[in-house]
Amino acid sequence: MRTSCLKDVAGFDKRLVVGVGALEVSNNPGAILTTYSLGSCLGVTIYDPLARAGGLLHTMLPDSTINAAKAAERPAMFMDTGLAALFRAAYELGAEKHRVHICVAGGSQFMDDSGLFNIGQRNYKMFTDILRQHGLVIAARAVGGYVSRTMQLQIGTGEVRLKTSGQHSETILHRS
Amino acid sequence: MQILDDYINRVKTLPPAPRILTELLRLLNDTEVDAGRIVDLIAFDPALTAKLLQRCNSAASGLAEPVCDLHQAVSLMGFNEIYRMVAVVVGEGLLGAAQRGYGIDSGELWQHSATAALAAKVIADKLGAESDLAFTAALLHDIGKLVLNGFLEGSYEPVLKQTGASGQSFIEAEKTLLGVEHAEVGGRLLARWNFPEGLVQTVWHHHDPVEAHPYQQLAGYVYLADLIAHCLGQGQGFQSFAIRGRPEVLEMLEISPKEIEGFVLQTALAVEEANWIIPRLP
Repeated sequence: MRTSCLKDVAGFDKRLVVGVGALEVSNNPGAILTTYSLGSCLGVTIYDPLARAGGLLHTMLPDSTINAAKAAERPAMFMDTGLAALFRAAYELGAEKHRVHICVAGGSQFMDDSGLFNIGQRNYKMFTDILRQHGLVIAARAVGGYVSRTMQLQIGTGEVRLKTSGQHSETILHRS
Repeated sequence: MQILDDYINRVKTLPPAPRILTELLRLLNDTEVDAGRIVDLIAFDPALTAKLLQRCNSAASGLAEPVCDLHQAVSLMGFNEIYRMVAVVVGEGLLGAAQRGYGIDSGELWQHSATAALAAKVIADKLGAESDLAFTAALLHDIGKLVLNGFLEGSYEPVLKQTGASGQSFIEAEKTLLGVEHAEVGGRLLARWNFPEGLVQTVWHHHDPVEAHPYQQLAGYVYLADLIAHCLGQGQGFQSFAIRGRPEVLEMLEISPKEIEGFVLQTALAVEEANWIIPRLP
């Protein structure tokens, strides 16, 4: 896990790519966190407008019990361990649990009534279960459907943007 | 079959047949194959040889000493590893271009295919099956899209309508709009290129593997590998997740949904390790 504390020349953007099964947090107003390739994976952003700090998590699977060793090494791969790690990293930058705006994107689904193949659905269920346990709510979401997505968080403004496969324009998912 | 042949014949920009792969696949089944024969086949194509040596010498290949010629490469890395490298070089050449009719940008079909190939290898290895054929079939499973791409261009709205409102899968929408779909076109193309029958049937039925008699197992690996590549976000294009879930495949392969999650994890790690296969995203 990497925490961004980059000293920047004012006005210059610092672009960070968040890989599959990874997370980044920042309080650098010039930082733009982006994650690509959200299929059944879920991208989660949290942003505290007061602390002007936030982060982006790209998590792959719902449940870390499938591979506890991997979860210890890379908690961001799994929703249960990844979400906790995202919040913990953001607290380090002054964010507070009940002040953050939470956005979520991804969790695409196949045409599968049996649900056996829909990892996206299981990821989203794990996500909402954890939020419910902590009394947290979702500010904005773009989940499911037959597409893959790119998600971006701008630390300076808290704006969350989305790009959807097969479409060329970006959309704004949320403004903090 | 006339309609399929018509589609294939009408495409002017179809790449040349990857003869090197069909030849090498034939040798893979030969237990007493002579390394010299493999080297001769590959050396016939100087551009391929150069790319292959470059890949052998990349940091990801894990060789302690650089290799200077094909003989050395084959003896150090083994035929199976060299075969997969050739398949990757050939596959990238075939599948690298944008496919606008599908909403797929340059490099995206290649990333999807390479991810699926790694997933198929993960699955075949795990289930104790021969993995090179699964790797190749998954690498080439969407080759039919090269043929149908031009015919789908400008059809974004009808495709969306078919896959969304009417509840058809993408492949069913293709069939409705064009009278053919990319899997059967791909199978037909590989048959024309003299690929082995198992590979032809697998590509042909990669969306309904139980139909790939008697190659259902192999087709099952490739079906799952395609889904896994989508799960990992390597399935760009219009409505790319509009694929039917086939619970009977899990029964056929005797695996649980939890095991699919394990395959997703192993594939993601294999993609990271093989970062020389997948071009970095912008």
